Amino acid sequence: MSSDDNLRTMYELIQLMSSLNDTRRAILLALGHIYPKSVSGVQLSRLIGYSGKSRSLYRGVLSHLQENDMIQIDELTPKLYAIRINSEHPLLTVLIEMCKEFGEESKKIYLKSLEEEEE
Amino acid sequence: MDKLLNKARGLYIDRQRIALAALIAMYAASFILFYSNGIDSILKDPPIDWIPAGWAQGFEVVASFNTVGFFLAFSVMMFFYAFWHWAFMPSPAVTYTISILKGVFGQKSKITQSLGKRFRVYVSDTEFIDVKCRIREQESGEWFVYKLTSPIISSEKREDIALRHGMAVRNNRFTTWVAHDELHHRSILLAKAISLAS
Repeated sequence: MSSDDNLRTMYELIQLMSSLNDTRRAILLALGHIYPKSVSGVQLSRLIGYSGKSRSLYRGVLSHLQENDMIQIDELTPKLYAIRINSEHPLLTVLIEMCKEFGEESKKIYLKSLEEEEE
Repeated sequence: MDKLLNKARGLYIDRQRIALAALIAMYAASFILFYSNGIDSILKDPPIDWIPAGWAQGFEVVASFNTVGFFLAFSVMMFFYAFWHWAFMPSPAVTYTISILKGVFGQKSKITQSLGKRFRVYVSDTEFIDVKCRIREQESGEWFVYKLTSPIISSEKREDIALRHGMAVRNNRFTTWVAHDELHHRSILLAKAISLAS
C-alpha cells in the first residue's frame, strides 16, 4: 500500500469513527483492542460503561452496527452471543492493526476488566 | 439529547397520553351506546335445550348485532389511533431534522416532509435521499432513530464505498440506521459516498 492510500484510509477511518456516537465509538474501540477475543453482550456493556440493559444494546446499537458490517455477532446459544469486530472491514482492519501495534497498555486495561468479571 | 428533541419527546409522551385517554373514553362511550338499547341477537332461538338457561342468555348478548357494531366501532378507533401513531411527529423534532438536513445539503436545498415521519432531500430533480424517522425504537427504547436511504447507485464499487462509509447496500441503495446525534455527521458521509459513487 502506498503512503497515499495509507493516508486516505486513515482519513476515512477518522471520518467514520467521528460520525458514530459515543456508544458505537466505544464499542468499536474496545472490540478493536481486544481482537481476536470476542465478548458477550453483558461483558461488552460493562466494557464500555453502558448504563442501560444489555438487551437494549443488542436490539438497537449492535444490530445496526452488524447491519453495516462493522461487527460480527455469532449466536452460540439463543441467549449467548459472541460479539467481535469485523476484521475484514477495509477500515477497521487498520484500526485493529493500530491497536495491536500501539495499544498494548489499553488492551491490558480492557482485558483486566474482562478478567475481573470472570472471577 | 438536543434541546429540541427533548421538547419533542415530552410533547410526544404528552400527546400519546391524551390519545390513549381519548381511546379509553371512546371505548367506554361506544360500549354504552351499543349495549344500552336492547340486544338484537343474531340467532333468534338460542339452543336452550343443551346449554343452561343463564349461559344461553349470555350467548345471546355475545352473538348479537350489538357486538358486531361494537367491534366495528372499536376497529375504527384502533385504526385512527394507529394512523395517528404512524403520522404524528412533534414539530420540534421536525424543526430539528430539517435544520440538520439543511445544514448538510445547503440552506437552499429542496426538502419535503410527508406523512409518516418521512423526509425527502432532493439531490437532483429525479434523485433523492429518503430520511425516515422512528420516534421510539420499540426493541431498544432508543429515541429518535433515523433511516437514511440513498438513490439507486449503479457504480460497481458500491459495496466497498458503502463499507468505507459505515453503510450497507440494500436493493442497490446505501442504507443505514443512525441515532439522532449521528444524523448530521452520517448524512455528510452519505452525501460524500453518493458523490464518490457517481
